[in-house]
Amino acid sequence: MLKKHSPHFHDDWDPESARGIIEQYKGLEGPLLPILNALQERFGHLGDPAVRLVAEILNLTRAEVHGVVSFYHDYRREPAGRHVIKVCRAEACQSMGCEDLVGRLERALGIHLSETTHDRRVTLEEVYCLGNCALSPSAMVDGELLGRASEEKILAAVGEQA
Amino acid sequence: MSLHTGNGFEVIDRGTPERKSEKQVTLEIDGQSVTVPAGTSIMHAASLAGIQVPKLCATDSLEPFGSCRLCLVEIAGRNGTPASCTTPAESGMRVSTQTDRLARLRRGVMELYISDHPLDCLTCSANGDCELQDMAGAVGLRDVRYGYDGENHLDAVKDESNPYFTFDPARCIVCSRCVRACEEVQGTFALTIDGRGFASVVSAGMNEDFLDSECVSCGACVQACPTASLIEKTIVQHGQPQRSVITTCAYCGVGCSFEAELQGNSVVRMTPYKDGKANHGHSCVKGRFAWGYATHKERITKPMLRSSPKEAWREVTWDEALDHVASEFKRIQAKYGRGAIGGITSSRCTNEETYLVQKMIRAAFHNNNVDTCARVCHSPTGYGLKTTLGTSAGTQDFDSVNEADLIMVIGANPTDAHPVFASRMKRRIREGAKLIVIDPRQIDLVRTPHVAAMHHLQLLPGSNVAVANALAHVVVTEGLVNTKFISERCDPTEFEAWAQFVSREENSPEHVEKISGVPAPELRAAARLYAKGPNSAIYYGLGVTEHSQGSTMVIAMANLAMATGNFGRNGVGVNPLRGQNNVQGSCDMGSFPHEFSGYRHVSEDATRALFESAWGVPLDPEPGLRIPNMFDAAVDGTFKGLYVQGEDIVQSDPNTQHVAAGLEAMECIVVHDLFLNETAAYAHVFLPGASFLEKDGTFTNAERRLGRVRKAIPPMAGMTELDVICKLSTLFGYPMHYNHASEVMDEIARVTPTFAGVSFAKLDELGSVQWPCNEKAPEGTPVMHIGSFVRGKGRFVLTEYVPTDERTGPRFPLLLTTGRILSQYNVGAQTRRTPNIVWHDEDVLEIHPHDAENRGIREGDRVALVSRSGETSMRAHITERVQPGVVYTTFHHPESGANVVTTDYTDWATGCPEYKVTAVEVRLTNHESSWQERLDHLHRIQRIETVAAE
Amino acid sequence: MSSSTTDTLVRMANDISNFFRIQPEDQAVAGTADHIRRYWEPRMRAKMAEHLTHGGSGLNAIALKACERACKSVSSAPIYRGGT
Repeated sequence: MLKKHSPHFHDDWDPESARGIIEQYKGLEGPLLPILNALQERFGHLGDPAVRLVAEILNLTRAEVHGVVSFYHDYRREPAGRHVIKVCRAEACQSMGCEDLVGRLERALGIHLSETTHDRRVTLEEVYCLGNCALSPSAMVDGELLGRASEEKILAAVGEQA
Repeated sequence: MSLHTGNGFEVIDRGTPERKSEKQVTLEIDGQSVTVPAGTSIMHAASLAGIQVPKLCATDSLEPFGSCRLCLVEIAGRNGTPASCTTPAESGMRVSTQTDRLARLRRGVMELYISDHPLDCLTCSANGDCELQDMAGAVGLRDVRYGYDGENHLDAVKDESNPYFTFDPARCIVCSRCVRACEEVQGTFALTIDGRGFASVVSAGMNEDFLDSECVSCGACVQACPTASLIEKTIVQHGQPQRSVITTCAYCGVGCSFEAELQGNSVVRMTPYKDGKANHGHSCVKGRFAWGYATHKERITKPMLRSSPKEAWREVTWDEALDHVASEFKRIQAKYGRGAIGGITSSRCTNEETYLVQKMIRAAFHNNNVDTCARVCHSPTGYGLKTTLGTSAGTQDFDSVNEADLIMVIGANPTDAHPVFASRMKRRIREGAKLIVIDPRQIDLVRTPHVAAMHHLQLLPGSNVAVANALAHVVVTEGLVNTKFISERCDPTEFEAWAQFVSREENSPEHVEKISGVPAPELRAAARLYAKGPNSAIYYGLGVTEHSQGSTMVIAMANLAMATGNFGRNGVGVNPLRGQNNVQGSCDMGSFPHEFSGYRHVSEDATRALFESAWGVPLDPEPGLRIPNMFDAAVDGTFKGLYVQGEDIVQSDPNTQHVAAGLEAMECIVVHDLFLNETAAYAHVFLPGASFLEKDGTFTNAERRLGRVRKAIPPMAGMTELDVICKLSTLFGYPMHYNHASEVMDEIARVTPTFAGVSFAKLDELGSVQWPCNEKAPEGTPVMHIGSFVRGKGRFVLTEYVPTDERTGPRFPLLLTTGRILSQYNVGAQTRRTPNIVWHDEDVLEIHPHDAENRGIREGDRVALVSRSGETSMRAHITERVQPGVVYTTFHHPESGANVVTTDYTDWATGCPEYKVTAVEVRLTNHESSWQERLDHLHRIQRIETVAAE
Repeated sequence: MSSSTTDTLVRMANDISNFFRIQPEDQAVAGTADHIRRYWEPRMRAKMAEHLTHGGSGLNAIALKACERACKSVSSAPIYRGGT
């Protein structure tokens, strides 16, 4: 379901291509989510131009589209970094030290949760339950599940030093 | 908003909408037995039993939502505590609305709300009118165990961008009423909830300021908001109102019912009245917020005189002013003849005032030189519908649209000009009704969120009748005629002649395509859709009537509706969207030069005898002068005195030069109005008028519905129009005296059969009434022509397409058409004097990119707009809403001079000006036109010399 | 009255007749005449009558017949000069 994160950046916005994607899915019943998924897949985020274009073609208001986009954590309004780290903070992972792990990552990268490093290389996010509790603490890096996660393993996966 | 208590008009919020059903259910709530239609919520049922279940997210103008969790109840035999707003009542249920468990749960919910809410009730602008406050009291909240130091939204930033209301997210409880009101009631969908959980916050657009978002400032959200989160700036400034008066809006022909809420003699808020049958508790930006013009500093409150328009105005007493008018008019009559004076009644003044003006002209002036602004807007409606059906008015009420399956909008732009009705229409379309739009311009309705026309016949201005004939051609030649209806209700010979006529080749869609630009397949599809129904309704506006074939087009539409059997029930009909708040009433009251009240010709002996007996004087049997002919006669030297009530003919009538020439040729012009307008620049006497807040009377809206106008504040000029007309008539030699407007209505009822049952007492009792209201229909007539037409058999009349004389050519290759915008009203006399300016502070010319490019015009450039009649200038706006070859503008600002360029071509039957078709050229310019420079000068020299204080 | 007013009246009469011209001729003339009688103020009909005495130029065939029917009976409207 979750595709491997591919690094597309905000200056990649291409209205023609976006329009093509929207036209492709707009005939579905309940086309909004498939369209948003596809646009995010292609552009890595759903910025103002995307919201406006979707609203225009589906004959919705930008308020409505914005409401949907802002509701789901996985829809980004701004592009993510080259790499996305998601650390699980649910109960099983908590019991196995994920809070400490989060703290270490924040210090190592110099950012807080939900932020992206200055050089746009890494985004750090929290998730609630990857369903990998037996191998807590768990994390997901660029869409790949990582069990028994540690600061070193995660940073290595994104090409950083601990 | 909580319960309104004002003048005894208490309105209870039952939490969820009323439901209609054949089936009834009986249940027990707190021991009381209640019977309700199936589908009614427990909350609503409880309310009918006098039990108000605590609630925050529920309100009966909106579908239930179930988010606040305050309205929980217990149902015997069921687990849990369901929400009473989302749970339908069922037979045999036993419900408890108050138990210890419920009390604890409700207190718990309130604790959570209050833990994230400012604790400044005493200084909050909603103090005294806050449902959160009420509910905290109702559930017995005593402390908040969570404390107030946790995460909260107290430092959220206010949005004060909208001129009329503030949005303060710190006070928001995310009940979503505002979002739902914007969707369900207004249909604009401008609001959403951004985020989720604790981070949820109301967002206009993509987290934009309200003013920048898609919001149209209708105020439905402000009305729905239970806290001070969305609140009127006037309430913030002045505090809560203490009394209210139910009255009717003075803007458009929807005629929304309002509660004028006051402190002392100041209006602090206008709230749509929930039981208003025209608006059902909704309104638009103008009625709800733009009422400040009534007390604007430019209001003239003293009568003024001057011996010539070149002099400064001199303030005088009422006696002096009225004596002068009477003596001048008498002098003019003595010198030039009985027909040398006349008057124009206002379509914005009440029925009673209008009736008295036409009575004064007929009984005191002894002529029929009376006319009204309907001349320039819907007079073809009167002519066309009277000819075909027998009544000079629309056939349905607004609620009829709820049962329409196919809606055809012709030459109207309801989302801008009749917004409250448009919201209702859009709601019906969201429910599945199909839409056809016939308009040269891509109006909003063609494609707006959640609404899209199945067919937009984008015809060239001036080709209406050709298109209508082509639609009829399809209906007849493809066998879509409703033969049963026609055989029962129409003349068969006339129908045959008509059927043969429309079947001719020249009326085929293929032939008409060359004239109108509408592709034949589109037209055929639209015709089939209309004929299919089952309930097809036509709604139309000035894009039909303001043409040289305006009356012809009205007849054509009525014929189309008859041919397909679309009369005599809900969901169908031919519906004119009448513009002014009382234009229907003004026409009903006999403001036309050829008709007494109730549309009876002055030459009809029996009618005239009735009035001669009622009024005690002989009356002129010949038709009088219509407005454009008054100017002709003035230029010819036989018409010299004019009384103009509440209308700015210089700005709103076509061919300004012609109007000015007429006025300049007259010897005594009396303007009776709220402000010094363009016409006043030519006047000798100015009588200060009274706004709708300052008088008693009635207005009649586009549904033939008479609504009460009730005095909320004393007249600023000391006299209402009623007083003034009586006094003037008396000075003229025909004494008139009425103690109260109700006495005038009683007289109207005595002399007008369609109004025989109308009285202020009945209006107080029923709220409003649609004429005909008499013995046959004591409570009025929502839908007309049920069973048979008023004239008996419906008439089919041949409607040959006659092209207008106004043709494009090398010098004037483009066609100009005109229209309106939501935030401004007509000539802008009222709305330009309110903060509505923020949305539209100038009229612009809409031009297609191709036409603009060919002329080197870019967005915002000043362009000259030139026609055979004259020249003006304005800024250009490049858009594809208009097709190549067509340009468009509005006429809300006098400086735009739209009527300097319009022609004096008119509808053949009524003289209604052809505003909608003018051949023009557009070119870049770097200065105003000479007309505009003269206007600037004219504005600057209008001075008033005030009476020096003693 | 000026000639421009006459031009206006001629145009009005022609416009009215153009609506009725699709009907059989006598109906068209009757319809046009009736309309003029119902809606034209006496001065307007008197002015048209005057124009007819000078030949009625500019009027189309139906309008001419209709004006003769509807306007000739109205004199120069003495009631409109000198007195209430």
